[in-house]
Amino acid sequence: MRVPESVYKELKEYCARLARRGYVTAHGGNASIRSGNIMWITRHASSLENLRPEDVIQVYIDKPSSFDAIASTETIVHREIYRRTPNLAVLHAHPPHTVAMSFFVEELIPPDSEGYYVLKRVPVVEGSPGSPELAENVANALKKYHAVIVRAHGVFAAAKFMDIAYQYICMVEHSAKILWLTECLKILGREIIRPRVF
Amino acid sequence: MSEIFGWTGRALLVDLSTGITKRIELEREVLLKFMGGRGLGAKIVYDGVDPRTDPFHRDNILVFAVGPLTATKVYTSGRYCVVSKSPLTGGLFYSSSGGFFGASLKKAGYDAIIIRGRASDSVYLYIDDEEVKLEKASHLWGKGTKEVREILKRDLGREFRVVCIGPAGENLVRYACIVNDISNAAGRGGLGAVMGSKNLKAIAVRGSRKVRVADPDALNDLMEKAKIRVIWNPILDKALAYYGTSSLVNIINEHGMLPTRNFQLGYFEEADAISGETLRERIFVKRASCYNCPVACKRITRTKSMGGEGPEYETIGSLGSMLMIGDIEKVAEINYLCNDLGLDTISTGVTIACAMELSERGVIDEKIEWGDAEKVKELVGKIAAREGIGNELAEGSKRFAEKYGMSECAMHVKGLELAMYDPRGAFGQALSYATSNRGGCHLNAYMIAVEVLGVPYLMDRFSPTGKPPIVVYLQNLAAAIDSMVLCKFMAFEFDDEMFANFLSAVTGENYTQETVVKTGERIWNLERVFNIRAGIEPSQDTLPSRLLSPLQNGPCKGKVPPLRQMLQEYYYVRGWREDGIPTAEKLKELGIEPPEGWE
Ligand code: SF4
Repeated sequence: MRVPESVYKELKEYCARLARRGYVTAHGGNASIRSGNIMWITRHASSLENLRPEDVIQVYIDKPSSFDAIASTETIVHREIYRRTPNLAVLHAHPPHTVAMSFFVEELIPPDSEGYYVLKRVPVVEGSPGSPELAENVANALKKYHAVIVRAHGVFAAAKFMDIAYQYICMVEHSAKILWLTECLKILGREIIRPRVF
Repeated sequence: MSEIFGWTGRALLVDLSTGITKRIELEREVLLKFMGGRGLGAKIVYDGVDPRTDPFHRDNILVFAVGPLTATKVYTSGRYCVVSKSPLTGGLFYSSSGGFFGASLKKAGYDAIIIRGRASDSVYLYIDDEEVKLEKASHLWGKGTKEVREILKRDLGREFRVVCIGPAGENLVRYACIVNDISNAAGRGGLGAVMGSKNLKAIAVRGSRKVRVADPDALNDLMEKAKIRVIWNPILDKALAYYGTSSLVNIINEHGMLPTRNFQLGYFEEADAISGETLRERIFVKRASCYNCPVACKRITRTKSMGGEGPEYETIGSLGSMLMIGDIEKVAEINYLCNDLGLDTISTGVTIACAMELSERGVIDEKIEWGDAEKVKELVGKIAAREGIGNELAEGSKRFAEKYGMSECAMHVKGLELAMYDPRGAFGQALSYATSNRGGCHLNAYMIAVEVLGVPYLMDRFSPTGKPPIVVYLQNLAAAIDSMVLCKFMAFEFDDEMFANFLSAVTGENYTQETVVKTGERIWNLERVFNIRAGIEPSQDTLPSRLLSPLQNGPCKGKVPPLRQMLQEYYYVRGWREDGIPTAEKLKELGIEPPEGWE
């Protein structure tokens, strides 16, 4: 069950990046990497800031196992994503602007060109943490989109490579922040003089 | 007594020697200080039994006790505790069991049944609310626990809940258990043998009253929150609900901590064949639950030729990997046998493992080979009947190994066989075992939660740093939970604050986190004082020498818990003397009158 060094290094690196950016709090967030019929996923309540080898748990993709008990609460969501999409890496974080924005919109349409170009749109779905409903909603959304926001909770992103999944999370949060800033400016009385053209 | 909520304020006193039963009032102060269940039982035994009494003497007292939360809306509130002086450890011992019996006892109007003396002939105790009588049990004597429960329910009515002993208890096997409902067992410490020594075969109870709750609205609100928290908890809602406690087999094995071959190894090659996954695949029939429990961690199972409940994780370890039996069906069948004969599966497995090692070494003549499930079944029968070598094994691993001058092969602490976590893989668990008032018990500070499962957070399992204060805290909390009385699995989600809120809503008393933990500390110290007076010196706060030497292979290779160092800190945190004796000041601070001459 010991996690291979390369898998551990990759998870540690990107989990630490999420923490440095303030996208996860003390023991929040989770990450996984798929390899064949197994995935390596962060442990329940592990600290992504400083991931230790024992914080990475091996579980199956096609069936639950007793190790689910110590793996992330969202294991069921990661599993469903891998079952329904060809992705090999999944990240889940709680970036604050995205979570705040999720209370007000049904989908996030990135107002910035780069965000729009890559993400197009990011749907907002419902579901309690670790529930089959959440797994279903997130996995379905990720069949079509790179990232999905869970209302009042956070964002899931999936890709073939961890670096790309990380990029998606950063972009969602960046777009949410831009949206928030533009809304603030509108409240302050500023008017958009040139609407976006993309 | 002024108006009382939660508790009934009454106990049933049963003198088996005279056949007299009577209801007595319990002092409010005692209930507030010791709560119920384990704490109330401990107080009654502490006050009523000379610590040097032979556990099988008629003067020993056996208490069945429930708590203020029993039979309320609070989850898992159907449990009861049995408390007495243990024939296995010689100490003040409690054993807790799930099922439905506890709730029925409370509904019949009692916080406790206090049993003294010895009946001249076998009897069972009949309680139907106010109607109480002792009935002849000659037709039940010699019968297995399953049949006894069936006969009594058939004769008295299906609503009666029954606790009983099997032949093992009748024959005073030192680790005989008490069984109720769906093979729930007050398993540890041989309290079934104390019941047997009193010629008491069973207790059947039916209760029809409602428990009075001080603030039903507050309790409803709390249960709404509790429901959501239980659903979100991965251990309760996923592992325990889906696989039961057997979900631990592969996890503990992968950590190199699954006791194998009498603790000679920490990794069992065939673990997968006795794992929760295999249990589910091969013998699982359906889930079952105790009274008012949404987790339903119990498993109803069936092999090709037998059926029953379990096996639980501890049983799988003690009757599986410890004996090198890598077949879930065989383990399940030995488990059914133990349940029916009324034997604690942990002590049975660990004692037989000791015998296997002595046989392999040529110390005993009996041929008992590793992995021989048929031989184990035969031995289980002989132990319960105290026949042949079974008579020696019925004494437990400590006495058995000592008889052959092979103490190092007995895997126990203070006479109680160790549970199924090799402490070389979790240093906090090592301290927990060594200091437990019960002996080699895992339940009094379940450090596996923080050292392996990561609940609430994963600590470095190979480091002693920070462990003693957590062990002390968990021991106190466990004593309080056992006194409410709830299932300790609830502590995977609820903290002391939640427990305090439950207690306040039900009793109307002002419980806080601090008073809950303080109550646990009081109970812990009371047990400790009794045990020291019974001759269990602090020098017994240790582990078998084998477990203080490193494993040669596996994930725990080379690791040895620094027990001495942790013990010093532990005694300090407890506020005891450096030699592990609670000080008179500490006892007074907790409201315990120090015994005469205590310094
Ligand atoms: S969690 Fe399991 S043992 Fe505890 S009360 Fe519920 S069913 Fe019984």
